[in-house]
Amino acid sequence: MPVHDNLSAPEVIANPYPYFHQLREEDPVHWNEWWGGWVLTRHDDVQASFQDRRLSADRMSPFLKGLAKEASGDLHPSFRLFAKWMVFTDPPVHTRLRMLVNKAFTPRRVEGLRTRIQAVVDEMLDRLMPAGRMELIHDFAYLLPVTVIAELLGVPATDHENIKNWSDEITLFIFGAIGVPDRRQRAQRAMSELAGYLQAIITERRDAPQDDLISALIAAQEQDDALSDEEIVATCSLVLFGGHETTTNLISSSTHALLRNPAQMEKLRNDPTLIGTAVEEFLRYDGPSKAMVRIGGEDFELRGKPIKKGQRLLLLQSAANHDPERFDNPDDLDVTRAPNPHVAFGYGIHFCLGAPLARIETAVTINTLLRRLPNLRLDVDPGQLEWQPQIVSRALKALPVAF
Amino acid sequence: MRQLRITVDQDKCVGSTTCLHTARATFALDQSGKSSVVNPQGDGEATVIEAAESCPVGAITVEDAETGESVFP
Ligand code: HEM
Ligand code: SF4
Repeated sequence: MPVHDNLSAPEVIANPYPYFHQLREEDPVHWNEWWGGWVLTRHDDVQASFQDRRLSADRMSPFLKGLAKEASGDLHPSFRLFAKWMVFTDPPVHTRLRMLVNKAFTPRRVEGLRTRIQAVVDEMLDRLMPAGRMELIHDFAYLLPVTVIAELLGVPATDHENIKNWSDEITLFIFGAIGVPDRRQRAQRAMSELAGYLQAIITERRDAPQDDLISALIAAQEQDDALSDEEIVATCSLVLFGGHETTTNLISSSTHALLRNPAQMEKLRNDPTLIGTAVEEFLRYDGPSKAMVRIGGEDFELRGKPIKKGQRLLLLQSAANHDPERFDNPDDLDVTRAPNPHVAFGYGIHFCLGAPLARIETAVTINTLLRRLPNLRLDVDPGQLEWQPQIVSRALKALPVAF
Repeated sequence: MRQLRITVDQDKCVGSTTCLHTARATFALDQSGKSSVVNPQGDGEATVIEAAESCPVGAITVEDAETGESVFP
């Protein structure tokens, strides 16, 4: 049976792994007519492509050019902030932007947030436990990442609801939601509101610096003009955005993975010191980032296929993470798996800036859920669970649990 | 200046290049796209520690070459 090209077919959205196995076996560098680009599924190809200097991470500028034509020039300037997100830039711009914020997210720095993270998780559970049930994503999993990242940046806790809403609208656009016709307009409005909001905080901090990331970026700007105001706004909006949607999805997919694998859940519950390898396994087994896009920067061959300058490539991380040539029993959850060279956070220069933070947040959350909720169980028929219809991200729509 | 033993755990390294950009004379990417130490005396101790701390996956350890005492982490 030849592989089909519909990356958003309902069965692929519900469980992408069988389809990814088929692709990897039949045509590991596959021209996907439906998506209009090359789809890579082997672990070695995906990892190497993340580091390949012949590929560009700037998939935003060509896209914005296309939009500008389509919108006959009425593209709001705030939209161009997307093109300044470091994740969409190549060196040397990328190196400058990344090195300026890197310090705030090192493993040692975020280790200092552990006590605060534990306190937030415990507070939320204190409030939720009497009910005996919750919808894990909206009642619980989304609150921790947004709280932590907002505190780190230095935006007031009272604004979390707004940040969540803007972020949701931007997600529709960035993650290519299917069947949302006005997603460009909605993302545009959200981005311009978020930019205005951040610009106001920057102005405040310039007069009265605090111990937060926004103040640190302003200090860097004043030192040697390393950053423009626009770049500060772009970087803050990227960190706000990157800092919560994905982590929320990892917390829910980790919980879901354990609920589907009760023996693994018991193993981890009985030995919380396994949480380090367990979090890596959650990332590999059903991680929040299914794929990243790159653009050919020149013509070259990959496994005999002609990649042309300007063509899109979809690096399927979730396929790489289930490659049997790299992982034994790739479709089994094993909370003790080590080594675990998954590419769930990407690889190379764009390797996730927030990885140390996401790792701690997930580790604390999962261990606390297991410890405090000994009867944690699914509160819905497994067949009723649904995932967001997105090609590049993997996100449960809701996860009702009882305890 | 004391001598340092700098180690990159290549199983952990993800080729982010942040150590290279921090301590340019000490680290370089090898054939496999991972960081390795090219000159342990290339940069000062403070710069090497800053580079080790910059690593997003904690792949770099630094010790006093003579005493074996841990300098980072
Ligand atoms: C489980 C949670 C997370 C996952 C799965 C994830 C995944 C990723 C991936 C795959 C990339 C690489 C993008 C590319 O190669 O084009 C990336 C980059 C990035 N992530 Fe995350 N991320 C997570 C959490 C976070 C958090 C908590 C932050 C908050 C600081 C964050 C901020 C960023 C930023 C700023 C980049 C761009 C880095 C660069 O371009 O150098 N992420 N993330
Ligand atoms: S900073 Fe760490 S992950 Fe990045 S290249 Fe150096 S050793 Fe490798």
